[in-house]
Parts: sequence; structure tokens; C-alpha cells
Amino acid sequence: MPKLIIDDREIEVPEGTRVIEAAEHLGIMIPRFCYHPALGAAGACRVCAVKVIEGPVKGIQMSCMMEARDGMVVSTTDEEAMEFRRFVIELLMLNHPHDCPVCDEGGHCLLQDETVSGGHAHRRTSMKKRTYRDQDLGPFIRHEMNRCIHCYRCSRFYQDFAGGLDYGPLRLGDRTYFGRFTEGRLESPFAGNLIDVCPTGTLTDKPSRYSIRRWHGERGPSLCISCSLGCSTVANAYLRDLVRIEANYNESVNGFFICDRGRFGFYYAKHPERPRRARVDVSEAPTPEALREAAKRLARIAATHGPGAVACIGSTRSSLETMGALVRLCETSGWRKPVFFSDPAMQRKVRTAVSRIDKRLHVSLREIEKADFILAVGADPLNEAPMLALAMRQASRNEAAVAVIDSRPVVLPLDFERLAVARHDVEACLNVIMREAVSDEDLKIAIEKLPGGADGAASRAADFYTGIRNAGEGLPPEVRVRALKIAAQLKAAHRPIIVCGVDAVCETTPALAADHASILSGLKERAGIFYILPGANAFGAALLSSPIGEGASSFFEEIEKGEVKALVVVECDPLGQFPDRRRIEKALGNLELLVVLDYLPSETVKQAHIFVPTNTHYESGGCFVNQEGRAQFTPPVYAGGEPNRQETGGAHPPRVFRSHIPGGGPEPAWKLLAPLGAAPRGEAPELRGNLRSILDGLHPAFEQLADSPIPPVGERPSTYYARFLAEGALHVGSLAPQDCGALAFASSDAGEKAPGVGKDDERLEIILTEWTFGSEELSSYSPYILQAEAEKEPCACMQTEDASRLGISDGDLVALRSAGGGGLTVRIRVVENMARGCIILPRHGRLAWQDLEPSPVQASVERVKK
Amino acid sequence: MHPQVLLQNFKGNRSASIDEYRANGGYEALTRALLERTPAEVEQMVLAAGLRGRGGAGFPAGKKWSLIPEGAAHPRFVVVNADEMEPGTYKDRMVIHVDPHLIIEGVILTSYAVSAEKAYIFIRPSYESSALILERELEVARREGLLGQNILGSEFSLDIVVHRSAGRYICGEATALLNALMGKRPNPKQPPPYATEKGLWNLPTVVGNVETTACVAPIVRNAITGGSGEPAFTKLYCVSGKVKRPGCYELPMGTPLREIIEEAAGGLPEGSELKAVLPGGVSTRYMTPDLYDTPMDFDSLAKIGHRLGTGAIIVFDQHTCMVAATLNIIQFFARESCGWCTPCREGLPYIRDILTQIESGEGKDEMIPKLRRMSEHLWRTYCAFSPGAVSPLESLLTYFEDEVREHIRMKRCPFRK
Repeated sequence: MPKLIIDDREIEVPEGTRVIEAAEHLGIMIPRFCYHPALGAAGACRVCAVKVIEGPVKGIQMSCMMEARDGMVVSTTDEEAMEFRRFVIELLMLNHPHDCPVCDEGGHCLLQDETVSGGHAHRRTSMKKRTYRDQDLGPFIRHEMNRCIHCYRCSRFYQDFAGGLDYGPLRLGDRTYFGRFTEGRLESPFAGNLIDVCPTGTLTDKPSRYSIRRWHGERGPSLCISCSLGCSTVANAYLRDLVRIEANYNESVNGFFICDRGRFGFYYAKHPERPRRARVDVSEAPTPEALREAAKRLARIAATHGPGAVACIGSTRSSLETMGALVRLCETSGWRKPVFFSDPAMQRKVRTAVSRIDKRLHVSLREIEKADFILAVGADPLNEAPMLALAMRQASRNEAAVAVIDSRPVVLPLDFERLAVARHDVEACLNVIMREAVSDEDLKIAIEKLPGGADGAASRAADFYTGIRNAGEGLPPEVRVRALKIAAQLKAAHRPIIVCGVDAVCETTPALAADHASILSGLKERAGIFYILPGANAFGAALLSSPIGEGASSFFEEIEKGEVKALVVVECDPLGQFPDRRRIEKALGNLELLVVLDYLPSETVKQAHIFVPTNTHYESGGCFVNQEGRAQFTPPVYAGGEPNRQETGGAHPPRVFRSHIPGGGPEPAWKLLAPLGAAPRGEAPELRGNLRSILDGLHPAFEQLADSPIPPVGERPSTYYARFLAEGALHVGSLAPQDCGALAFASSDAGEKAPGVGKDDERLEIILTEWTFGSEELSSYSPYILQAEAEKEPCACMQTEDASRLGISDGDLVALRSAGGGGLTVRIRVVENMARGCIILPRHGRLAWQDLEPSPVQASVERVKK
Repeated sequence: MHPQVLLQNFKGNRSASIDEYRANGGYEALTRALLERTPAEVEQMVLAAGLRGRGGAGFPAGKKWSLIPEGAAHPRFVVVNADEMEPGTYKDRMVIHVDPHLIIEGVILTSYAVSAEKAYIFIRPSYESSALILERELEVARREGLLGQNILGSEFSLDIVVHRSAGRYICGEATALLNALMGKRPNPKQPPPYATEKGLWNLPTVVGNVETTACVAPIVRNAITGGSGEPAFTKLYCVSGKVKRPGCYELPMGTPLREIIEEAAGGLPEGSELKAVLPGGVSTRYMTPDLYDTPMDFDSLAKIGHRLGTGAIIVFDQHTCMVAATLNIIQFFARESCGWCTPCREGLPYIRDILTQIESGEGKDEMIPKLRRMSEHLWRTYCAFSPGAVSPLESLLTYFEDEVREHIRMKRCPFRK
């Protein structure tokens, strides 16, 4: 490890550390524009110049381009170096507008900081300033090219880091222009990060432009709950208005970046129609009154029909506190155990996945970047968990091989091998790859070492082994050839990771993927399994859901049978988010009582007999467990309430003093649940937002949790939590056990497999799936996400051969009809790179996919005549 | 007449044919090298001849080849840099038009020495006629079995492709050239890794100038046959500006400046007095008449703080305004900067602006120290473009400060009536 001296202070740094980084360890921030820890050094801006007094090359050198060497002596305060840095700033300011007061970046602008700290104040030239024409880059990002200082951070992020192709430097010399070939929305779903990486006001957040100065707002660490990855964010609120989300650095999850769904999808929290007042039947009521009325009616139904007549539905977007409180409520009241998933199969899949994650196999998002082989099984990262695709790209840039086995037309910002096979052939492909990559002997030994491999479950292990030995018989030859190629890559790999989705896969696939990962972990330096789960807190929901396979759909059956008379729906929208809408509508209509607690203006909320508004995690905080079992506490960012802008119609701060927060009625769901219970009034358990007290005894895994931090009395929450800003969302514990102890080879036990679809069948299987923008529940309330989607109509995908057999061409409008009478009309996109025999249908807000029955659904396809 | 090696097949208004090239010993080196010598031996011959790169930097060619690590990956590439855009330089064009097979044989021998499978001739778009000549003669060579699979019955196979640049001065910088060849922006790339290790598509690549490549075949021929006429010791000098016979002259390396101008180029026209000379294109420093007897080779010029560059000698007489000349040069460089690093991208237009003011009579005294400081700062750039660009400026302030001050004092250019 080289030891060097910077400004008379000695420091020892790891081999390969750059001088600019070494200085940072000493707390010396050498000025920089082009250098960015994630993007590396470019040597372009030349503002990080230092004087090397002792070292391989002496004199003025760029500290970002130089690796620290033993015995190096560096001065950052040398007069010659400082003069050169001042000169660089002068050059950058030659053409930069001097109008910081009207620039949205003003106040958190790196150029402003460096200019002021460098002491450049006088313009020494009368040169005309260079001007450019700006481009419309879509709804997310505002382009002001005149502010550009050509640090190339944007193009290095967009092209190199994120694999985007439609934005970059054009022309050259002092006319270099950063933009698109023609105006238009930036295609990469990571484009929003350009706002964070740009050190000036060239690329700024368009939706929040001119609505906040960074120091004016309440600003705090937060968490993205738009998918299961749990990326760290920084939320900015101003005058009760949540205005901007930025990426927050989190070393083990998202690094420096987030996706655009996470950045621009938070508008549900300030949706103009967000329900903020409780309602009983048709009239508004104060929250305590609505709760009392709900408790009264629930008690009456439980007394008349028995406690089993009350059922509760939660969702995977709720915090652990809310889920725990719901479980407790049902327990103390004797009601049915709550469900958090739409159907039993999904619950089983997620529970299986969660049961297989332990310290040996669990992989953080950042560890994906270090893998040298990634096999995605039934996963569509860019659509299901976008930041995973970005992490996979980094692995790929480090020369990892990437392969995808999926029925969908998966697109990734990297080169990968694709096995486009039907859902029920995914496992066969996985088995073929394993057989060809691992020798028979190794395989047998590895199986024996696994729990269940050598004992009573031997027959299951034997089935597993036979499954691998005989795999691939029904696969088309071209798929087998590709599988061999992938197997060769796996064979050569040292750190393979299997990424497994749970949404569009057969029920047995998650367990099989874990079995394969376990086997690899015995043979390789390190192997891991990375699941993509449905929802920000699906992991927590799986721990809290009952082992009996139940889902919301089970309750609708019970309602039809007249067994369930009252339904409490907590932060969930069955009408908007579950398939089979007609049946759900009917079931809800049959209920004696529907109580809904939520913060979204959803369809289900409108149907409620009693509605009670709840808080978002921006207002109340909460703990969420991401797909790897990382429990993260997100503190409240602001106190909530109706945005001042909405209340006053945009007039600047009201001069009326009040004792309450307008629209500040909603409370966190976990606080509201206890009073609904059967416990006599006054004796409801006191839940203080204390994670441990809510979750105590509900699952052994929760013993790993540290308590959620609560600000001391008298301290403003935003100030208190701001201290944690640098640490990202607060990591309160990992719920992945040391050793999950789960028996391997359980895959053969699970429920029925998807039916095979004959090639000549007129019916195609409909696979419901996620889309980056427009299908995820929370972000689909964002006008900006919708705007980004507006230019392309959501469509269903069909394989070329199926399309030509059925006489359908690209862009045709077709009617899909299922045997059960469900159906919808959708435009078809004909795609080569997907499995035959199926139709890929996004659960897009603008498609009536809810009119279909729950999967698996087979549908006939008919072209709609114009 | 001095011995001609590179231009020995000069045919006036047309290129030498393959037969004419062969008549003077052409392809003899290739035939014997492929059949009798190992690649390492060929490399050694060039190393021993002391051939130095003629693109401007003067790095020994054989040494560059030897930088490819032992056992490095394949395919390997050879790239001939024919992006000749240094103002005043036209030696590469000259060689291509006079004797295209000299280059083709040189490329094949270079490729053989480094075991490359494919070679590119990266050519400036305005050299379309040169590109056509090369393509035509490459086809001839292919027909003759000098290119393609198993050349001349040996194990060695090679193809050569002529790639037309999209244009821009910076494409002549080797690393920028490789980026351009791969379809990327022509931004230079600071080593490591060196192109010989990770060049085109991260594979070992040797980049050489046209004139350097043209020297290879005669060197190998001489080394094998023990013949005379060592091209490592001749140099193509392009003379332009105030001389009677501007042109490209092949003279012994190290011919004194006076001899090149007075004898080869016929001296200055009547009434003209020598005021300054740019010795090797516009990215070198002005030389003053007191250096008239300097031998024009890499080391002699380096010793006195000058550079041979491309050997393109531009002659200025007493009627030339040196401020205007320098402004002209800076305008060129400001336009051609790739835009990667700040001092070059922003600094050159800044200097252009100041020189414009001085030339148009709006100069101020404080501009001189400012320009001097800037020309020092512009050495601290990402690549060598900017240090080259400010060389004329820096020497203007060193040798012609009085003339600059005259502009400021008179509030106009003294050379304009």
C-alpha cells in the first residue's frame, strides 16, 4: 500500500487509489468537474491540478489522472498549481452565463462553488459569449447548453455507464454540443441521473424547475419504493410540497444513481386528488370518528357472523410497521390472517424466494457489478427493477458474461445471450446449462452437501439430479446450441450470480434457481441468487404472511361464498392492481362493509364504505425490506399536508397563521389500525412507531432489527434525520439469516406447473408483465411518468411466427378473448426475440388488463377490423 | 543531386507502376523476408537501422513494434497514418503519388514483423486522389499474390484496407485516429494502455506514419542484400513560403537549413530577406536567421529547443507580419481542437481573440504577459495538440516581442498601409 504526503500530511492508501481520492481521505477536496467516483477520471477539465514535488512525474499534474505512489509528495496549495486552477476556472467562465440568480442550479452548483472558492471574480476579456440552441429532451430534463462547461460527465454517464445511445457530444472544439441528434425524449430510463452528475445548470430537473432552492426546502434521506431494490434517495419538500427526488449515495445498494421511475414517480404523494379526509359512507368525517364507526361496524359483523367474516388485505408497498400492525390487529381481533399478495401462487413464490436467501447466497445490488457471469432466469430487469439492469451493465463492462432465459422480449443496455423460451421451458434451459457447465461428479458431490441432499429427502434430490441429467429433450436445437455457449461461460466463471424473477415464471422456478445457486456456491469462489420481488416490501410481506397459500383472490372467493362479510383494505388497490376486475367489483358489491385505508386516489378508495386517509413514507417514515433482506428505515422528510401551491392556487406563502397543517389529517396506517380492533376502547395496544414493539414475536427474523431511530423530543425531525443523509437510508439490519436451513430440492413439491401450449394452438398464453414506466402502481400516478409514456402507445408483444400464423402484422389492433369471457383490445407489436405461444401484456395503466382472469390465461387473438 | 530512396521512382506526372517499382528492386525485400527471415529478424533490421517515426515525434519505429508484448492477442493491426493535415506538409501525399507500392510493401513488411492480420491506411478525406491510387494499386498487389491468404506461398496472410477519415486535424494524433477508426469521437486517449497493447478494439495495434512506412522496405532490402542507399538517413523536406522553388525534396537527414532553402528550394525571391522559419509544420517554434546553419534532424533541433516535426519548412520574409501569421496559425488550431480538455478548447479561442485585438490595433501592453502566461498554461493539456499549437505563439513572444509591441504602440498593424 503506497504511502504518500499531501500538503505535509502522510496517508497510506490502497494500491490503485488516485491522488484526488487519497486527498479526499485526508479531507482535502481538490476541485473537480470531470472526475466522478462512479465515472472515473477523464482528465478533461484540468481543474484538479496539483504540484507533484516528489514522484514519477514532477511538476503540475492532474490529481485525477495520477495513481498514488509510495514516497510521493504532493502540494495542493502550491502557488503555481493554484494559479493554473484559477486559469482553468477563468476559461470555463469565459462562456458561462453570469446569471446564477435565475439558474435553477444556483446554490447547489459545483461551478459556482469552485468559481467562488477559486477567487475568480473579474472578467478580463470583452469576448462575445458563445451561445447554443437548446433541445427539448422530454418531460424529465431541461437542457440549457449555454451553461455547459464540457466536463463530459453527462456523456460518460449516459453512453458509457448507462449504455444510452441517443445523447452525447456532437461537433468539436469550442462548438462541442451535448445533446441528441434531433430533439426528443431521452430514451434511457436512467437519464434523470444526468441532473445529478451535471456540475452546472445545463441539465436540470424539469418538473421541479424554479420551485425550490435547495437550502429552502426540508431535505432528507429517503427510500424509493417503486420496486423491490430499495434505492436510497434524497427528498426535497417545500411549503408542504414534495418537489424533487435526487439519488442518494448508498454504497451497497444503488451506488450514486437511481432510475427515472424512482426519481419522477413520487407525485402520488402530492396528487391533487389525494384523499386527505376520512369518509363514512358519503359524508366526510374526522378521522377518529371514522375509525370509531369502522370499529363499531366491524365488531357488529364479527359478532353476527363470527370473527372469520372479517378479512384484511394489505400490500407490498406498506411499511413493515403497517404490515406488522395489520397482522397484530387480525390476531388480537381473531379475524382471518391478512394477505399481502394478489394470489396464492404469488405468495408461495415470494415465500419460497425469501426462505432461500441467506448470508451464503444473498447478493446486494452492488455485488452484481462484481459478478463475472450473470444468468437471468425469468427476469426482465429493465422493466421489473431498472437499477438491476444498470448494475448488470457494470458487470458486463467488467467483462462479465450475461445471459437471459425468458419468454419476454427482454432488452438490456448491454450485450447478452438470449434464450427466448416459453415459461415452462425456462427450467429445462437452466438444467441444460447446469449439466453442461458442471461435471457429473461435481454435481453429485454438490447435491450431497446440500441440506436434504443426502438424507430422507433423497428421492427429491434424485429427482433434481435426474431433472438435470435428462433436461433439454424437448428444446429446439437452436436453443440448445445457445445454452451450450452459455454453459461454457458459466464453466469459466468464478463468481456467477443467478437473477430470478418471480412474476412471469412458473411456481417451481424460484426454488430451482436457488438450488442451482447453492450448487454453484459449493463449486465456485462465490455464487449468489438475486430475486426480483413484487413490491418494495415484498420480503417483509412474505415473512408476515401465513404459510397457508392464500392471496387476496382467496378472500374474493370467500366473499362470493358469503363467508366473508367485511373487508379491510390497507394501502392496496385490488380494483386497479389485480386481474379479474369484474369479479372483484361484484365481490366488493356483496360486502356488508368495505373499510379502506390509503393515500392514493384509487378506484378501491372510491368504493369504500368507510375510508381513512393514511400517510406516505415521505411523511411518516417506515421500514422496508428489499429483495436481499436488507431492512432500511426511511425517516419522515416533511410533516405532510396539502401543498401550499394547491391550497392557495400558487400564491406565495399564506400570511394566515393557523394552529394546524391544512390537509394534514392523514396519519401513518400503523397508527390507525389498532383502534379498528376488537379490543375494548381505551385498551388498544399503544404503538409508538417503534419497530421492535410492533414486530415483536411475529417472525424470528425480526430479532435482527435494530430499533428505528426516533428523534428526541423537541428536535425537528428533518434536522435530526438530515444527519443521516450521508449514510443513505438507514440500514437497520439484514433479515437474511446466516443459514436459511431450507431444504433444497423443494421445487418438485410446489403447486402445478404452467400448462404447455401447443405450437399450432390458436390460443396463446397471456403473460402479464411489468413495464419500466406506466405499470408500477405508485409511479403511474405521476403526470411526468405518464407524459414520458404518452408518445408511445402501450402494446402487447407477439412472436413473429405466431403473428404470421395468425395473420397479424405489427401495429394491428387485436381483441384478446379468454375462455372465461375476459378480454381486451390492444395494439400488437411483432417481435422476433421472444418465446412463441404467448402474448406479453404489460399491466399498463392505459390497458384494461384487469379485465382478464388471473393467470395462467389463454386467449384467442382476433384482428379488429378498422 | 542527392541519392533518392523514397522518391527514386519519380515519374513526373504519374505514379510508378508495380513493374517499374519491381525494376528498382521493389518487393525483393518482401519476398526474401517472408521466405527467409522471421518476423523478429525483420523487426531487428528496422531497429538496427535506427529508423525514427516521421510523423513528428521521432520515436524509433522498431522499438515501437517491439512494445507489443510477447504472446499478445490476435488479431493484431497495423495502421498507417495518412491523415496528413499539418499545414505545409505534403510529403506523405508525395510518396503515395510517386510510388504507392513502396508504401504497400512497407505495410506488408511492418505487418509481418508484428504478426498483424489486418492493416488500415487511414487517409485524409481531401486526399481522395491518393486514396484512389492506393486502392487501385492494392488491387494490383492482390492480383499478384502480395496480399491475401498465404502471401507468396508463405504462412503469412494480410489484407489492407484504405479508410477515409471524416476529416479533422486531431485525427492525425495516433490515439484519436484509432478512436475515429473505430467509429468513435476522435478524442485522444492518454496511455496506459498503449496502442501496442490495447489499440483498435483493445487489440495490439501499431500506428506508423506514411513516410516511416515507406522507409521500411528499402531498409529491409539493404539489410538483406547489403545494398546501399539507406532511407533511414534521408528525409523528405517540404519547403513552402517565400522561396523560389517550393516543393518536396528528399535530402540526407540533417541537411543544414541554409542548404535546403538556398540550394534545393532556390533561395528567397529577389528583394526578400529571411525573417523566420517554421522548421516542421505550424506546431513548431519559429527559428530566426541566426539558426540558418542548423542541421535539420531530430537531435540537432532538440538540442537548441526546436523540433523537426514533419520537416515542413515554412519560410517568412521581412514583409510578413508575424502577429498575423501567428494569428492565422492559432485560428487553425482553435478550429481543430477536439474539445476534450478545457485549456485547449477554451484557451485557444481566447488567445485567438487577444491576437485579433493586437493585430487590429486594439492591443494593450498587459496582453503580452497574459499571452506569455497562457502559452505556458496551455502545455498542461490532455494531449500534445495544445503544446504544439502554442509553440509559434511562445516563439513569437520570444523573438518578435518588439513587433508585437509595435502593433500596440501604433494601434495598427505596421505591415498594413
